[in-house]
Amino acid sequence: FFFKFSSDGDNIKVYVRVRPLTQGTGLTTDGDRSLCLTVTPPNTIRLHSKPEPRTFTYDHVAGMDTSQEAVFSCVAKNIVESCMNGYNGTIFAYGQTGSGKTFTMLGPSDFDNLTDELRGLIPRSFEYLFFLIGREVEKSGNLKSFLCKCSFIEIYNEQIYDLLDSASASLFLRENIKKGVFVDGAVEKFVTSAAEAYQVLEMGWRNRRVASTSMNRESSRSHAVFTVTLESKEMDGQLVNIRTSQLNLVDLAGSERQKDTHVEGSRLKEASSINRSLMCLGQVIMALMDVSNGKSRHICYRDSKLTFLLKDSLGGNAKTCIIANVHPGSRCFGETWSTLQFAQRAKLIKNKAMINEDTQGNIQ
Amino acid sequence: MASPGSREWRAVCDKFRDAQNLSDVESRKDPENEPFRSKYKARELLREIHGALKAFGGGGGEDDDTDADGDGDAGSAFGRGWPGDSERGMRAARLGVVEYCLGVNHVETEELSAGEEHLMNCLKLLHKFSVTDSNVSLSIQVRNQLGILWAGRDETEKAQGFLETAEAIYAYYMKEAGQPPMDLTDFFVLEEDQLSQQEKTKRFEMAYTHTMYYLAQVYKNVQQYERAGQYCHSTLQRQLQFNQFEPMEWAINAATLSQYYITKSRFMEGRHCLAAAGVIADLAGEVPSEAAAQENEAEYEKREQLRQKRADIARCWIKYCLNLLQDAKKLLEDNIGELDPDRQAEMKRARRNEEEEKEQGRKSAVLFGSSDTFDSICALEEKVSCTFPLEFEEARAIFLVGQEYVNQAKEYFQMDGHVTDHIEILQDHSALFKVLAFFEEDLERRCKMHKRRVDMLEPICKDLNAHHYLLVCRQLQFELAEAYNEMMNLKLSLADRQDDLDAHTVKKFNFLCASSIKYYQMFLDSLRSPDGKFPDQLENDVLRPALVAKFCVARLQSKIITTSLSVQLENLNRSLEDYSFVVQYCEQHPEAKNAAETELELSEEMLTLLPLKINRIQAKMATSN
Repeated sequence: FFFKFSSDGDNIKVYVRVRPLTQGTGLTTDGDRSLCLTVTPPNTIRLHSKPEPRTFTYDHVAGMDTSQEAVFSCVAKNIVESCMNGYNGTIFAYGQTGSGKTFTMLGPSDFDNLTDELRGLIPRSFEYLFFLIGREVEKSGNLKSFLCKCSFIEIYNEQIYDLLDSASASLFLRENIKKGVFVDGAVEKFVTSAAEAYQVLEMGWRNRRVASTSMNRESSRSHAVFTVTLESKEMDGQLVNIRTSQLNLVDLAGSERQKDTHVEGSRLKEASSINRSLMCLGQVIMALMDVSNGKSRHICYRDSKLTFLLKDSLGGNAKTCIIANVHPGSRCFGETWSTLQFAQRAKLIKNKAMINEDTQGNIQ
Repeated sequence: MASPGSREWRAVCDKFRDAQNLSDVESRKDPENEPFRSKYKARELLREIHGALKAFGGGGGEDDDTDADGDGDAGSAFGRGWPGDSERGMRAARLGVVEYCLGVNHVETEELSAGEEHLMNCLKLLHKFSVTDSNVSLSIQVRNQLGILWAGRDETEKAQGFLETAEAIYAYYMKEAGQPPMDLTDFFVLEEDQLSQQEKTKRFEMAYTHTMYYLAQVYKNVQQYERAGQYCHSTLQRQLQFNQFEPMEWAINAATLSQYYITKSRFMEGRHCLAAAGVIADLAGEVPSEAAAQENEAEYEKREQLRQKRADIARCWIKYCLNLLQDAKKLLEDNIGELDPDRQAEMKRARRNEEEEKEQGRKSAVLFGSSDTFDSICALEEKVSCTFPLEFEEARAIFLVGQEYVNQAKEYFQMDGHVTDHIEILQDHSALFKVLAFFEEDLERRCKMHKRRVDMLEPICKDLNAHHYLLVCRQLQFELAEAYNEMMNLKLSLADRQDDLDAHTVKKFNFLCASSIKYYQMFLDSLRSPDGKFPDQLENDVLRPALVAKFCVARLQSKIITTSLSVQLENLNRSLEDYSFVVQYCEQHPEAKNAAETELELSEEMLTLLPLKINRIQAKMATSN
């Protein structure tokens, strides 16, 4: 007899944000004012597809006039709060280049303006986190203290690079019985305020750009993961309680770049004639096995680095949110459609684990 | 037609070579903002070649095209029309090659309709001619491309049609002719640059291997899994036969295929895949030493890769042994999970009959190997049985092989660094012990096997951080609870044979009960919310485990041996409480009834029986006071 244990699907919230139409974004949509979708608050979006329009439903849909503050309150506030309570939290940003990902996450491109009304979700999360820390410390009469560390890595082509140490070679993922999955050797910077955290982010972000030219990597093809590790220490008489939690802010590779790797229905994987390698064959065999449930088997193909790193965040007791950014212009129809589909699939992400239990043995 | 060796012909050949080079080599260096620059250049050259061919070759004759659309009629593909090796046939094939290249070029530059048109032109050109060594490779490759194209448009049936025709053409050609056919490039090279016969064969066979590979995918997409499995198998076999593979990748694919077979209980095939995987993995070269790995990053990565993949193959073997034992157990057990001697005798008889028949036919159909590797693969196969074990000694032999692979896999997947993998391996090891215990008749020894499970899992369960490994922790808790539970049951059976229980046995027995309860309780506590509340509504995935855990706790509580009536009363009341939890939960959530049918039924029964027992004890206590 087999059981499946999995996290409940509700752990992953999906939030869709539609950016406004503006000139000069460099997108091919400039000048074309026609829209490919309509937003029906609070949670549906209607895509003007042919022959039939399609309606998608999410946890929340934000229309073109949604403020940065509103996005933060709806998406991040709750996650930052649960980090304070010792839970892990992750916020993913997903969407086509030019769909407003960076604006949502960081804000307008000039960096160091932490007071700007347009600043994004990340600076706001930092501020809120340190506000909560200050309040907690005060409330506890200094019996509680916090330690905050940041790391920033980039995953490109299944290789991990440290954005806080651009000179380092690629790093490896490891696991420890006490601290779970971590990037071995990644630089961790201690920070004591939102401004300091922001500085670390900025430094890494710059490295990401440098890397994109010097190593011919392109930022829109890589995933960037900024992690804030929060450690709280509480004196309870003689006992010291230590709790740690992580807040991961993930900038996923531009969705238009993933065309090749995505699940695309029935498309066949090709092999060029000189190639001795038929990598996809293994995927085909794996797909055959997924229909024959129940038996214990070993899959030799590793998880992607990103899913493995964020293992904790995709199941168990973590809070996760995906922000799918879309561009409403008619010419972005194809990309928008695939982003909305991805977001729908994301609702189904579950971290499964099996348990083997023999009922017969229990009842006698 | 320009004469071979003429200047014009030489120029065409040069152009063709340049076009190939642009398309295959140069295009990889194209800048991001002009991704198809080289492909477009190649296209221009191909168009020029096309023009030149038309000019050389008196294009008049080709215009009486018959419609070859759809390729549905496989018969026509073999062309009972003009001989393919006639001059007309050669000319058509030559033009066909250019159309083919143009088609592929358009597909690669995302102009699918134009690509399709060129590929269909190619098909039309071939249509009128019989299959010969000059056009067979082209006939197959153009259909491979059309298969890919139509699959991409979600028209799987159409894709399947083209690919199946390609398959039939190959079979026909190999039966009728079978000499090394021309390669596409052979049409555009000067006499002195012709490919070697060996190279021609290799390219031709590779094209057909790709047909198999695409068909495997198509059959998967139309959910013909059995067939898809066969085509995966053929693809692997052909790669091996024609020496067209990366050893490690091949080995991993074969190991994966073994897992498909074991989920279908086809252990002979599964074992064969694994033996082949092991032998071929060895061709990937030596694992670099630790010292070499420390000095050089490339060596480090190679070492990691090779060790990890070998460990992965070992893990596939573990699953093989485990499933073989578990399947055998299922066949042999009676309705309370004990070995059924009648079934055993019956199966032994059946096996003797089967051995006489010998399944040779089936075996020859699934073999892997080239002349170099075949013997090694067979030798590796000999080391473990592929038939169901029917008694302890046979089961033990399989268990030991499994255990050896457990140790091998653990060498790479160590706890420090690979927590998840390491624990999975330990869980398999525990499962191996559990199923071996089924075959053991001596209860004391059986108990010791479960003790081994406890010994390997308990320390980890204690150390593992539940914050990061919640799900694994739950699995371990459940498995430990169950192992203790089984030990308790065994002790109970042993105690039944004795007349009276000594203090030591009682203590031992109560310890087992308490330990089992402890782990079930830990599991149940892991379901609580941060503020310690047990959920009103259990998630689907934990519904059954939670109800089973409650039920087992109830049962264990009532079994604890004590001489104190008040303690016994307390235990029984707790037990009653847990039984009624199961019943009440199912009343409030009718959907739970199916999840724990037997447990519910027994709990309901206990709810009527236990109060009587409790009353009796209360009465006894009242009188003794």
